[in-house]
This record gives sequence, C-alpha cells and structure tokens, in this order.
Amino acid sequence: MSREKLRQLKIDLPLFPTTSVGSFPKPDYLLKARAEFAKHQITGQELEEVERQATEFWIRKQEELGVDVLVDGEMYRGDMVAYFAEKLPGFEEGGLVRSYGNRYYHKPIITGKVGWRGPVTVEWWKYTQGLTSRPVKGMLTGPYTLMDWSFNEHYPDRRATCLALAGVVRKEVEALLQAGAKIIQIDEPASSVRPEELPLMVEAMHAVTDGLGAYFISHLCYGAFETIYPGMLDLPVDNFDMEFSNSGLDMLDLFRKHRYTKDISFGVVDVHTHLVEEESVVAERLRRGLEVLPKEAVWVDPDCGLKTRTVDEAIGKMRALVSVAKAFRNQPAVHSA
Amino acid sequence: MELTLANHSSYPRIGDDAEEQLLRRTIAQRERGEKTDADVRAAEDSLAELAVGEQIDAGLDVVTDGLVRWYDPISHLAGKLGGVRIAGLLRFFDTNFYFRQPAVYAKIERTRPLVVEEFLFAQRKSSRPVKVVLTGPYTLARLSIEEEGRTNGGGGFNRLFDGYTAALAEEVAALVQAGATSIQIDEPSLARYPDDSPQVGRSLAALAARKGAAELTLAVYFGDASPLWDALQKLPVDVLSLDFTYSPGLLERVQKGSAKKLALGLVDGRNTKLEDAGAVAKQLERIGRASGLARASLTPSCGLEYLPRDRAGLKLRHLATIKKTFLGSVA
Repeated sequence: MSREKLRQLKIDLPLFPTTSVGSFPKPDYLLKARAEFAKHQITGQELEEVERQATEFWIRKQEELGVDVLVDGEMYRGDMVAYFAEKLPGFEEGGLVRSYGNRYYHKPIITGKVGWRGPVTVEWWKYTQGLTSRPVKGMLTGPYTLMDWSFNEHYPDRRATCLALAGVVRKEVEALLQAGAKIIQIDEPASSVRPEELPLMVEAMHAVTDGLGAYFISHLCYGAFETIYPGMLDLPVDNFDMEFSNSGLDMLDLFRKHRYTKDISFGVVDVHTHLVEEESVVAERLRRGLEVLPKEAVWVDPDCGLKTRTVDEAIGKMRALVSVAKAFRNQPAVHSA
Repeated sequence: MELTLANHSSYPRIGDDAEEQLLRRTIAQRERGEKTDADVRAAEDSLAELAVGEQIDAGLDVVTDGLVRWYDPISHLAGKLGGVRIAGLLRFFDTNFYFRQPAVYAKIERTRPLVVEEFLFAQRKSSRPVKVVLTGPYTLARLSIEEEGRTNGGGGFNRLFDGYTAALAEEVAALVQAGATSIQIDEPSLARYPDDSPQVGRSLAALAARKGAAELTLAVYFGDASPLWDALQKLPVDVLSLDFTYSPGLLERVQKGSAKKLALGLVDGRNTKLEDAGAVAKQLERIGRASGLARASLTPSCGLEYLPRDRAGLKLRHLATIKKTFLGSVA
C-alpha cells in the first residue's frame, strides 16, 4: 500500500484524499486574453499575467472547496500533448484533427530527434506551490501517449519513438523533484489503444520513474481497459487515476475477478455531461467502489480533466465530490473490501 | 493492372482557414442558441461539397462525401435507429478519436433513412461516382451495449448483430433505389475477432441480397487482415478494401491472387509522412505481376479524418503521384 510511501515523503493526507485530474475550465477573461494573444493584440508576458491570475483563482477555489491535493488547472496549456510538443525540440505543430464531436486539437508531428532543453513545467509548478501550503501535483504527459498522439516522420517505429520520449519525460520529472515536487502525475490516456504494446508502455514508464523518490500517479481514461487488466498493474506507479462514472463503473467487475493492488483515484463525477451530479449519486458511486477497493487505497476525483465544463459546473462537481469524501471519512463503519 | 484511385471513407471536416471552420463554428453557435439546425445542415452541405471538390481536384476516380456530417462512425448510424439511445464516450479502436456508444434498449428498427439524403446531395455535387460508406452491423454490435431490464428481452450480442443487420439491409436497398452504385461496409472490428468471419459472412449475405447491381465493398482496417485472408475470399462481397499498415504479411498474401476485386490501402491514412512513391509503385507492380489481377484501386488505408486537412489533401494528391510513377514503371 502506498500510504507508507506518502508517509516517507512526509505527505499527510486524510482518508479518501480529494484531488482533480489536472485541467479546469479557463475563465472568460483568460479565453479573451488567449484570443487577443493569437491576434497579436497582447504580448506573451501580458498573457502570462492573466494565466497566473487564473491559476491563483483555481488554487483559492480548490482551497475553499477543501480539496486535499491541488492542481494548477493548466491555465497555460491548450492540449496535453501539443503543450509539450511546443516546448520540446523535434516536434512541429500539426493542423487540427478531431477528438470527438465538435472538439478538435492540434496534433503534433515529430520531424526530428526529440530532446529536452530545460524545464517545461517547473516554473508553473513552483509558482502554484508558492500559492498554497497544500501539496500540488506535478503534471506531465507520459511517453507512450506523447508518441501515440503525435504523427511520426522521424523515428523508424513506435518503440524507438516511445523510448526516446521516455528519456525526455524523465528529465522533466527529475527537474520537478529538484524543485520540490513530491507527487507527480504522468498521464497515459492512450494506454489501452494497442494492448499488445503494454510491455512497451511499462518499459517506458520504468525508464521515466525508476530510482526516483516521488509518489507517482498515472491518469488513464476512456479505453478498453479489459484488454490490459491486470497487466497494467505492472506499470511502476503508485496510483492509477481512472474514469469510472462515464463508463458505468464497469471496471469494478474486472477488479472483482482480479484483485486491484495499487492506490486509485476514483472518478466519481462524469466530465462529459453538463449535469452536476447530486451528492447522492456521487456517494452511490463511491459506495460501490468500496465494495471492491480497500478504503485506504481510494482517492476521490473526477473522471478526467474538467476543462470542457463551465467554471460553475466544474466547481459544482468538485464541491459534490469533496462533500461526499468528507462524509465518508466521518462514517466509522464505511463499508470496504 | 489497371489502377483507379478512390477515397477510403472520411475526410477532415475542419482546416485552418475560415471557410474550413464553418461547421465547427456553426455547431458552437447552435449550442449557444445563435444558430438553428437548418444553419448546421447548410454548413454540413457546404463542407460536403468542399470535400467532394477536393477529392475530384486531387484526381480521384471515386469519391465519398467525406462523412463530414457524422458525429462519429457509430452513433451517426445507430442514433437514427429505433430501440437505440446514445450513451457515453469510448475510444474508437486505437485512434485518439472518441465515439458515443449506442445502448440498445428495445428491438432495433430502421424507422427512417440513415444516409440516403447524404448520398443524394454528394452525387448532385460530384462529376465522379460517389461511394456510400456504412459502418457494418458487426462493428456496430461490437461497440454497442445492451441495456438490461429493458423490453428487448435480452439475447446479447447476437440479437444486436441481427438487429443492425436487418436495419442496414433495408438501408442498402434504399440506397440502391436512390441510385447508389457503390456501397462500402466498414467492419474494422472483424480484424480483432477473426474467428467471427462466418457470422460476418451471414450478415453480409443479407446486405448483398438487397444490393441489386451495386458494387458491395467490405473494408477491414485498424488491424492485421492477413490471418483473415482465406475467410475474406469467401465472403459475399464484390470488393475487399484492405489496410496494409497493420499487416506485414498481407502483401505476400495478395500477391498469390484474389477472387475478389481489391482496394489496396497502401497509403497510410494515419500518419502525415508521405510514402516513397517509387516504393509504393513497386509494391503495386509486384501485386499486379504476381496476382494476375486485371484491375485494382489504390486508396488510403482508412478514412482520412485522422489527419489535418492539409495533410489529408496531400495524401490524396499523392495517390495520383503514385499512380503516375506506377504507370511509368510498367510502361
């Protein structure tokens, strides 16, 4: 159980720690500033000031709501892969491709050898951690997802691409650790796309995390996890952050068949609906999770990043999940596997 | 070997300039109550016409409407059927594209045409034959769930599969009635479950029975089709559309000959890198020489919606470059 690791890292968290996956919606004033920056009406420095203002807004909001492990909300990021591709040598920005429905993103193109010139996220992490006494997660996109969600015009195959990116991500992890980060989330939402490549993803994650003293979380979502479970438990991280609500808690059936052995950030609100769940709905999801999972292993959070919701919806969903987590903490007889 | 050029199925519905962003903009405006459904349909028409025009300009012999009206390959069809509601998001195979999963709660019924109007519009705008694309019953069933405790009486996968088959057979008949001469059934799930090819064969037979004189194509992609080769040859379709990017052994199998016409997906529809035209021409030459096929078509390996629009356009134009190289090498 990774509670011991958290203790070693001097991170004191209550039962059912609450957190969020990473992104929050950008407030209107930031959207306006980003549009102005795109039209060259404001400078990069002016945009960054607004991004800092929005980051502070979300830090204060998370504190006010009572969230235990905070995120910076990714006010300075667009897409989780494109953001890193813009900062790392070897990538070029590609055109728009569709993600779902009417949502699109710029899919990067690897056109040369990928590399790491210096920290990408560290200054933002330091700024955010400086705003709060609560732990703030360092948040990175994993090498397998960076590879899978980019076009490749340089490397001979997917394995060579993935392992080259693992070396780059490790350098960023080391820089975050040096800056003082203790909880680092490495997102791998592409993890189940090709089940036969799970060994490659595990190898790449070892290359990123081996020998480094942090509590590692990996966010996975919207995949065919039945194709990589229980093998995914070989991934060298402490906590899987997973979507449960949108998929009707179906992963729990897999956990019943083969015991789940890590900590888990349990997605109790659906980020793809405008509806803010009633607390009774959130509580029922958590209760069902605890039929299978030991309570000491369970963190509580949304299914995925909340950036596609409105500010009010995101706050409403976070408020509901924090309230339910607190209520469960105070129930001495919480049912647990 | 006579070579024709065809689009596989989808084409990007967004690009970098304002005209190419019309549909995205209009849908967002409708969500804010600033535009109507009719405005969105007009934007879809505009994008479909643009897609058809770009395919013709690229030199294709057979075009599609780019499927630009489709929310995704699953819910666009299943969502129009009775007995089906559309539920949460799931990843579409190994892409970074997500579809909404159909939840079947009652008997699946075709209560209205699915893509007939879309075909008629594209055909009006095209000087070339328009191929109609339908996601196949097997893939629809594989990617659907059956809601428990509803009035469909259970029955699991087979009931869903049979329901979708009956509905799509009616759609095939309606398309033929509307003048369609080329209909492609996309079954990417078949590559994942090759043992189910006899079931897929029965389903395709039901569709083939309603196709009249139209040419029926089965498209298998996003997986290795080479283990399926012998089974594919027995299926009741006229053309096999194959994705070579997942199948190192497929080229060898094809060279041994095919009882079916072939659509050769030798151009990677998932990566921006343009293939070496000479290398692809050599592959075509080998296929032509070894298989004895009199004709084949060259296509992307899958729909082009996974590429940025400018790169998708380059891929289509690259088909023409490859054909020119091929003709030069065999002349």
